[in-house]
Amino acid sequence: MESGLQHRPRTPPRRRSLLRAWLSAWGLSPVFVVGVALLALAPLWARDAYLQRLLVVSLYFGALAMTFDFTGGFINAVNFGFAGFVGLGAYVATLVVRNAELSAWVGLPAAALATGLVGFLTGLLTLPLRGIYVSLMSWFVGMTLMALAGALKDVTRGARGLVVPPMAEGITTLGYLYVLLVMAVALYLLLHRIIRSRAGLAFRAVGQNFDAACASGVDPTRYKLLNFTLSCACAGFLGGFYAHFVGIVTPAIMDTSYTMEVMTLSFIGGSGSLLGGVVASFLLIPIFDSLKYLMEYRLIIYGLMLILVMIFYPAGLYGLYQTAAQALRQRFQRR
Amino acid sequence: MDLLTLQGLLMTGLLRGGLYALMAVGLALVFGVMNICHFAHGEYYVLGAYAAFFAHVTWGLHPAIAILVAAVLSFLAGAVSEKLLFYPLRKLNQSGWVMNAFLLTAGLSVVLQSTYRLAFGTKYRGITQYWNASVTLFGMTVAADRLVAFGIALVTISGLWLFLQKTPTGRAIRAVSQDERGAMLMGIDLDRIQTLTFALGSMLAGIGGASLLSLSPAYPYAGSKPLISSWFVVTIAGLGNIYGAVVGGFIVGLFESVSYFALGQGWQEVASLLLLMLLLLFKPTGLFGTNIKTVWE
Amino acid sequence: MNEPAGQLLSVRHLQARYGRLQVLWDISLEVCKGEFVALIGANGAGKTTILRAISGVIRPSAGEVTFLGQSIGGMPAHKISRTGLGYITEDLNLFEAMSVQDNLLLGVMTRQDGSPRGEALNEVYQLFPILSQRRRQLAGTLSGGERRMLALGRGLMSHPQLLMVDEPSLGLAPRLVLTVFDALTDLHRRGVTILLVEQNVNHTLSVADKAYVVEHGRMVLQGPSAELLQNEYLREAYLGRR
Ligand SMILES: Nc1ncnc2c1ncn2[C@@H]1O[C@H](COP(=O)(O)OP(=O)(O)OP(=O)(O)O)[C@@H](O)[C@H]1O
Ligand SMILES: [Mg+2]
Repeated sequence: MESGLQHRPRTPPRRRSLLRAWLSAWGLSPVFVVGVALLALAPLWARDAYLQRLLVVSLYFGALAMTFDFTGGFINAVNFGFAGFVGLGAYVATLVVRNAELSAWVGLPAAALATGLVGFLTGLLTLPLRGIYVSLMSWFVGMTLMALAGALKDVTRGARGLVVPPMAEGITTLGYLYVLLVMAVALYLLLHRIIRSRAGLAFRAVGQNFDAACASGVDPTRYKLLNFTLSCACAGFLGGFYAHFVGIVTPAIMDTSYTMEVMTLSFIGGSGSLLGGVVASFLLIPIFDSLKYLMEYRLIIYGLMLILVMIFYPAGLYGLYQTAAQALRQRFQRR
Repeated sequence: MDLLTLQGLLMTGLLRGGLYALMAVGLALVFGVMNICHFAHGEYYVLGAYAAFFAHVTWGLHPAIAILVAAVLSFLAGAVSEKLLFYPLRKLNQSGWVMNAFLLTAGLSVVLQSTYRLAFGTKYRGITQYWNASVTLFGMTVAADRLVAFGIALVTISGLWLFLQKTPTGRAIRAVSQDERGAMLMGIDLDRIQTLTFALGSMLAGIGGASLLSLSPAYPYAGSKPLISSWFVVTIAGLGNIYGAVVGGFIVGLFESVSYFALGQGWQEVASLLLLMLLLLFKPTGLFGTNIKTVWE
Repeated sequence: MNEPAGQLLSVRHLQARYGRLQVLWDISLEVCKGEFVALIGANGAGKTTILRAISGVIRPSAGEVTFLGQSIGGMPAHKISRTGLGYITEDLNLFEAMSVQDNLLLGVMTRQDGSPRGEALNEVYQLFPILSQRRRQLAGTLSGGERRMLALGRGLMSHPQLLMVDEPSLGLAPRLVLTVFDALTDLHRRGVTILLVEQNVNHTLSVADKAYVVEHGRMVLQGPSAELLQNEYLREAYLGRR
């Protein structure tokens, strides 16, 4: 709409800027392209099984942070029951594979569908609510899911958990990495496309002021539901993947502390950036994991970082990146 | 269900309700005055429990004094956290306060839990009892500790009520909760009131943890159950409503003990969560909620 | 600085902004002890902002504010209030869920001269008998006129040296406007120094000793009320007659 007019250059466009505009419309920023290329070439530089595992875990948490940001950073609703949805996806994927004896290629979409549905219902429940009450409601939903996972002992075996078969016969860690990479890239392209469309503008309008958005002709109900459904479906999809990867699922994966971890990554990465959380995840998780003596302090450092970011630099890594990019651009232009 | 079981359920529900009320009053105070959704409240409960344990067991202090020590320590810890965290947050970024402060408490909770684990390990530190006695009430034997803890909760809450209603500082706290600008223009120092409020809230949690040491021992993650329960209470009561938090504490206590008996562990949680969601949906301001913002009127 | 005797408040070259938006450009004014000074101007001229900057609700971005010989520019609001500068805001900022009496008692937190609180309470009740009848009622349930009375009463509890009042007649029925103006002149007669912001130019100039006219964040006119009433420009722009 309006932004399209602004972007139309007055002078005849040079080829490079056209290419760049096209890339950025798809969200293919340099950081993204380089990151995906590095991961795709992982077999060349990450021979070590431990390192490969680390890459999977980092990418997994990064992707979660990205989905979290899709709600938290855009419609400004912190889904405090996020881990519950991830866990729901894990359980659904597991049950489909175990009980219906179908393959993971059915299990994962089923997980996405089921969590999407619960996400939609949660969206409905939060419709009349604003701000912190939305977080409270989604927290209660997440805790209900966790309590159900513990209480439905016939289906879930309660706290003892379920063993999950591998995703495919003889799949390696690298195999998992590629599957996850494809999933994460697809999710990113999807979410980014939506953010860049009319819906993205509507999300921000809803996030800033729900009632004003109502008045200005945007139908906030639709967008809020769309956002919740989609981000929960993504969370469930990823949760299903993770269940296969770690091979066991217990109610503990729905604990609020996991929500906090994802939330921390997303906010350190920068709210409203999608990729910020992924970058934060690749920076932090390997550092903590490789420096074993830091493990003890891992959560303290997480917490402290969240605190420091909130107090001193709410824009997060993404804000830092923008400031730096701005400075560089000005440098170039001056020459 | 015979009469004796029912009496028993009511009794445990009431006794438990006292603790919930105490914790929830702190939560409601902090939200009502400072607009902070406090997710580290349980960590001050744990602090109180540790303080009482070390004071009572390690230094051999009298139980009453041990609880007092815990109260003072958690008060100070609350004051320090406010000055160190929320004060700079308030000064540095004004927009999006509720969300930012909430995330800050989430970070604080993680930091405090891990600090406890580093300092004290994951060992359970509890005592069998403060007072070696039991009382027979309505044909039931109740440990003196439970009654004393209940009594402490009631006394503390009444004390807070008197403080808020009858002293100039208490009145100033209520004024800040209702209209910050008005309070400021009356010469009330907001920074001071906010530090005091957070310290008081933390102290209530600390007293809760200390007085229940014989029932739930101190360990790094002991705070999450009371935190969740007190969040239930304030949701029922309306977020910043202290009076509602007292009543709500007993409601939740009774509901939990009855539904636990009827449904068993797992389903009891599901039941109370479903109830909460319904309540939030139809009456987000809580059972006692009003549109006027206030802490205790 | 060389101060004339009896000077209470002096504002020099005051500037203020909301974020990036500059609202006050160059404001200077003076209030002497016992005066009744008015500040008039159209909607959005910046009158409220001037009072906010003086009282410390917002920080002035430049300029000097001196009250009782002490520089108060940039001091926090509660400290400024304690120096004896009362400010009754446009939206009153009452403590809605407290009784009338508790509201009044909060006004006396910072009493200067240490006289007993009961006395101040009685004074206010004498001034506004309606408040005395309603002393147990919650402030949030008072009528519009009663709310203004309560705000005035609360502002008087601490015996301020200067009382700044922002549009006390806002949204009141004509009869109540008169009551409020009566109350203000009555206060002035009892020796309270007043800085009044009003849109009701005619009324205001009939009670004030002198007045300042603000337009777009600048002082455009000032002088004794009697002179201003004769001023061509003012008559045309604000009183709608020649
Ligand atoms: N909190 C605020 N944030 C941003 N801009 C503001 C704020 N308050 C006032 N303004 C702007 O500052 C300008 C001056 O406002 P101010 O309230 O001082 O005017 P006023 O003379 O008191 O008007 P009125 O007679 O309508 O009360 C206006 O343009 C207004 O939009
Ligand atoms: Mg105004």
